[in-house]
Amino acid sequence: MNVEDVFSSRLRMKILKILYAVGELNVSDFARRLKVNYASTSKHLKILEEEGILQHKMFGRICLYRYNEQSAKAKAVQTLIEVWEKQNKN
Amino acid sequence: MITGDVGTGKTALSQRFGTDITHEANTRGIKLRYVHVNCREYRGSLFLILQHVVTVFHPNFPKRGYSAEELLNVLIQVLDEEKTHTILSLDEFDSFVEKEGGEAVYKLTRLQEMRQNKPQRLSLICVLRDPETLKQLDASTRSTLQSNIISLQKYSKQELVDIIKDRMPLAFKPFAVPDESVGLVAELAFSESGNARFGIELLWRAGKYADADNLDTVIPECVRKAASSIIPAVRKNELSILNLHEKLFLLAIARLFKQNQKATISLAEAEKAYAVVCEEVGAAPNSHTQLWKYLKDFSKLGITDTEVSGTGSRGRSTGISLPRTPANELEKELGMLLDKEFKET
Repeated sequence: MNVEDVFSSRLRMKILKILYAVGELNVSDFARRLKVNYASTSKHLKILEEEGILQHKMFGRICLYRYNEQSAKAKAVQTLIEVWEKQNKN
Repeated sequence: MITGDVGTGKTALSQRFGTDITHEANTRGIKLRYVHVNCREYRGSLFLILQHVVTVFHPNFPKRGYSAEELLNVLIQVLDEEKTHTILSLDEFDSFVEKEGGEAVYKLTRLQEMRQNKPQRLSLICVLRDPETLKQLDASTRSTLQSNIISLQKYSKQELVDIIKDRMPLAFKPFAVPDESVGLVAELAFSESGNARFGIELLWRAGKYADADNLDTVIPECVRKAASSIIPAVRKNELSILNLHEKLFLLAIARLFKQNQKATISLAEAEKAYAVVCEEVGAAPNSHTQLWKYLKDFSKLGITDTEVSGTGSRGRSTGISLPRTPANELEKELGMLLDKEFKET
């Protein structure tokens, strides 16, 4: 996927921001915070995972998403959000 | 297992051990976490206790959608992946046994048998007042638990004097508390089943009375004043772990006793007063059955006594008395706790 396609979605950007703030989360809690349904949330999470930005971990039936620590893209996204949030605060 | 009466240092001992062993493990490069859980705070529920432990490692772990057994497996998976050992201290273990029974205790204590040749990730410290509680458990669970018991004895008067003298410099200027006041505090704490926490609280309160009277020293009269105002049977932390509606209901009971000089009030009167308190704070009141359950818990904690009327009157009614606790002190304490709770939410 091209960078413009990945970041063109408002929901995906919100997912990345939420994850930057909380570290890890399951699909239902994402859906609750985004106020959208489970299927839509899950779809966007999968796209971000396929891009290597996120990774998931299973704990029994519970699936938690977090930033992919090995991915340069994930690091770049987190830096972008960090700088953005800091500038907005000032 | 650590047993002993109220204020004999069970919790302090467990926490101190936790701090020391964590420090020792860190110096040896071993990953170890000490997690202290007050079981009563989690209503004695295995699910809620395990959930708390899991959130130590994964703070955003979902709160619903799985069973206690699944959660236990999750915890072991987390510990295995992080190569961490955990010492779980279950304080007020009595309430856990009461709520969950032998099955849950068995699961926790025999966890390692199911995963032979793997490192032991979870160890337990069970802290309880009365080992008699364990009679409810089956023989095999009991034998696992009772292999290592530390039984703390009630403090002697001299030990209480030492404890109070050790704590004194943390709050008082040198020579502010004369020896006769220390002796009196120790004496009173000793009569309160050797409860050191009671003694420390008494000293703090006596200091407040000395401040209020603009005195340079905490004279024995300040200690006596403090003793007559303190809530001996109910420790503050026991009140603080009550849930919102338990606090509201108890506040209603305290107010009723403060308003009228009766020795006993009926559950019906308490319910009416509770409805008023709920209206004040904008909360929907709980049902009669729930209030009756709260009352049973208050009795267990030694806050109130209840008596069901027998023959002579039509039907049966529950009488509530408040024998050990000054109503105005209870009202004040609950008022402060509720204020704090509402500010936090």
